[in-house]
Amino acid sequence: MSVTDNRACPSCGTVAQGESNFCENCGAALSASPVDTLRVLVTEPALSEPSPMDDLGSGPISRATSQTSAPTAPPTAIPACASCGGTVGPDGYCEQCGVKALSPRDHFREQAAPWVAGVCDKGIRHHRNEDAMTMVASPDGTAADRRAVLIVLDGVSNTDDSQIGSLAGARAALDALRVPLPRGMGTPDGVLSAVTRAMSEAAKAANAQVTAAAPADAKNPASATYCAAVLEGDMLTYANVGDSRIYWLPDGEPGVQLSVDDSAAQDQMDAGVPRAVAETSAQAHAITKWLGRDSEDHTPRVGQLALTTPGWLLVCSDGLWNYASEPSALAAQIAKAASTEPAALALALTDFANTSGGQDNITTVLARVTTVQNADQTSTATSTTREQPHG
Amino acid sequence: MAEFAATVYQNEFLPDGGTDVNAIVTVTCSGAGTAGATGAGSGAVGEIIIVDTSGSMGHETMEAAKDGAQAALAEILDGTRFAVIAGTETATLVYPPVQSGPALAVMDASSREQAAGAISSFRASGGTAIGSWLDLAGTVFASVPEVTQRHAILLTDGENGEQPKVLDDAIKRATGYFQCDCRGAGTDWKVEEMRRIATALLGTVDIIPSAAEMRDQFRAMMQTAMARGVADAQLRVWAPQGAQVLFVRQVAPTVEDLTDRRVEVNALTGGYPTGAWGDESRDYHVAVRLPAKAVGQEQLAARVQVAIGADVAAQGLVKATWSNDSELTAKIDKQVAHYTGQTELASMIQEGLAAKAAGDDATATTKLGRAVQLAAETGNEEATTRLKKVVDVDDEKEGTVRLKKTVAKADEMALDTASTKTSRIKKS
Repeated sequence: MSVTDNRACPSCGTVAQGESNFCENCGAALSASPVDTLRVLVTEPALSEPSPMDDLGSGPISRATSQTSAPTAPPTAIPACASCGGTVGPDGYCEQCGVKALSPRDHFREQAAPWVAGVCDKGIRHHRNEDAMTMVASPDGTAADRRAVLIVLDGVSNTDDSQIGSLAGARAALDALRVPLPRGMGTPDGVLSAVTRAMSEAAKAANAQVTAAAPADAKNPASATYCAAVLEGDMLTYANVGDSRIYWLPDGEPGVQLSVDDSAAQDQMDAGVPRAVAETSAQAHAITKWLGRDSEDHTPRVGQLALTTPGWLLVCSDGLWNYASEPSALAAQIAKAASTEPAALALALTDFANTSGGQDNITTVLARVTTVQNADQTSTATSTTREQPHG
Repeated sequence: MAEFAATVYQNEFLPDGGTDVNAIVTVTCSGAGTAGATGAGSGAVGEIIIVDTSGSMGHETMEAAKDGAQAALAEILDGTRFAVIAGTETATLVYPPVQSGPALAVMDASSREQAAGAISSFRASGGTAIGSWLDLAGTVFASVPEVTQRHAILLTDGENGEQPKVLDDAIKRATGYFQCDCRGAGTDWKVEEMRRIATALLGTVDIIPSAAEMRDQFRAMMQTAMARGVADAQLRVWAPQGAQVLFVRQVAPTVEDLTDRRVEVNALTGGYPTGAWGDESRDYHVAVRLPAKAVGQEQLAARVQVAIGADVAAQGLVKATWSNDSELTAKIDKQVAHYTGQTELASMIQEGLAAKAAGDDATATTKLGRAVQLAAETGNEEATTRLKKVVDVDDEKEGTVRLKKTVAKADEMALDTASTKTSRIKKS
């Protein structure tokens, strides 16, 4: 990266790394973010509705207009209200309709390609968004050499600066997974052990960033869960630490939760307690593995699955699955949304979680998996799950 | 320099479909200094003392009133513009002794002595035309345009002799021009009449039941006025488009409904006069009705601001968040509950006393009983004490009371004048 690429945070001055839209230090928006990163939950004006932005002449002076006449305006101009187009006041609320302007860290969306998109949202009950997501995808989701990486980290809410650690960790993991996964000797076992090493390295890179986010004297150093899904052709490789999840939800067929939680609830389920009971118990959300300075073991559990039918690959935080833990419950919400657009579906699932209570931060990253046109490259594909619990 | 701060107390969580947001906004002013010292607009301060000298004032009351007015003179800071008006069926400017031109003297040792001398010569005779007194005060203030912080003290001992409309018109002319604290001496004046003046002119009303208390009351009133370093502040309430401001009430130190005094600042913002401020804190109850939004949405229900001139000195944000978590939405904020009770307490006392005066003992018993209950619930000990002088309490919790057979008129009037005084919530 050249020096000219460095962008200092307008809020705290920290120099930004990579292509991020947010400051790693304080979470402020680094550049004028696209208006659609600001959003009002649920209410979206119908397309036929005239936009208040069409009528700048009669209303109060909009932010955009005042900027043309005042080029010295601070670079951190607040985007117009996403709900009514009115001016957002310095107190963070629209001066016209009063709707709260969400900060870009509290609600952001990303679309890596037409077939891969995600929404990361503060939810209702938490005061800030400590979840993070990153993703990358090849442009054509139907190409045989398609590739996508979906990453979700859920910053633990009772730790310091976990919103910084989760974002930095998600970026580090993405960087580690930008190159194709190794295939080892090419034998099934060889492939699995090679990808396990690569997925563990990515988790290690994320762990280093989560650890670095906490000041040396932090009483509750930042911690986070970790989920990464890599789709190459039709082979999915996944890894997780903690209780963020990876689901495979094929169209019209029973779905499956691929990741296995490192949580007290999972321990109970392993001991025979029914899911519904375990996940609502007092200790349900206590995780037994995490990333961060005080983590004893952050080795991910790695698995592979060939995706040979069309469906949805979902990587999410517990802010979503709290309200639909069973794959069938998620499938029901997906059916209800009736969309094949990952961006629209991610929004619909976010809204579902918020209308269900929004108790936690909600992150939903989706890949729309279609049948690959020339599937001959992925000759080792089988429909069985292979898994190598590590360590 | 005076500083304002606003603190909001509310439960921002509304249930699905909920529309009404209630909040208590505590506005605190500090560093106000003294009248005229830091006043925004750098205008001068004017004080007028208006004393009833009608024939009904007995010798003892008249002498006490003179003494009280002189005590008030002593509290007026040097440099302040002032005047003294004697009121009968007409109003007479007794100091400064001028026929035309500026009718407010500048306070110093010699003018204070001359004014005290003029007050000594008051003689009780004639009628009571309070409207004419207010009108003369307005004229006197207007004779010195640089005076922008205008305050008067009005003492009467009797009922107004003018047609109600004459007084109403005079009050209307004075409203927004000067502030006026009203005191009634003895028990022959009408609480409702004095309250009408004091409320419109952003002042206080109280009874001075005995001549012995005159001096202290006058002194206290003028001390408070002299400690008001902020000439005028406006309470502003912004509500979003499509919302309705249900009411804006001052709820502490006294209950005053400000809703109808709204002046438009802009389409979404109303301004409400609050008069001059010293180092003090006042609480406001703001209620806003919003169109219901979907569960999960958060928005601003009101911006409550204090403005000095065009400058916003403090702002409090009243929020609304729709939730289907009944644990969150069912709670009523402690401050909101407290002041809702205090507001009802004030009207129960006033309505109960009005019913009693009209001979409707059944209604009076019910309303004053409810008042006793509310005073106990909200911990307003002053109201409880005053109520117990008018009713015998059988059960404070249930609000069961009996009207006392004989009640001192002064006690009843004291209960009435103090009905709007609220207690603050107990810090637990």
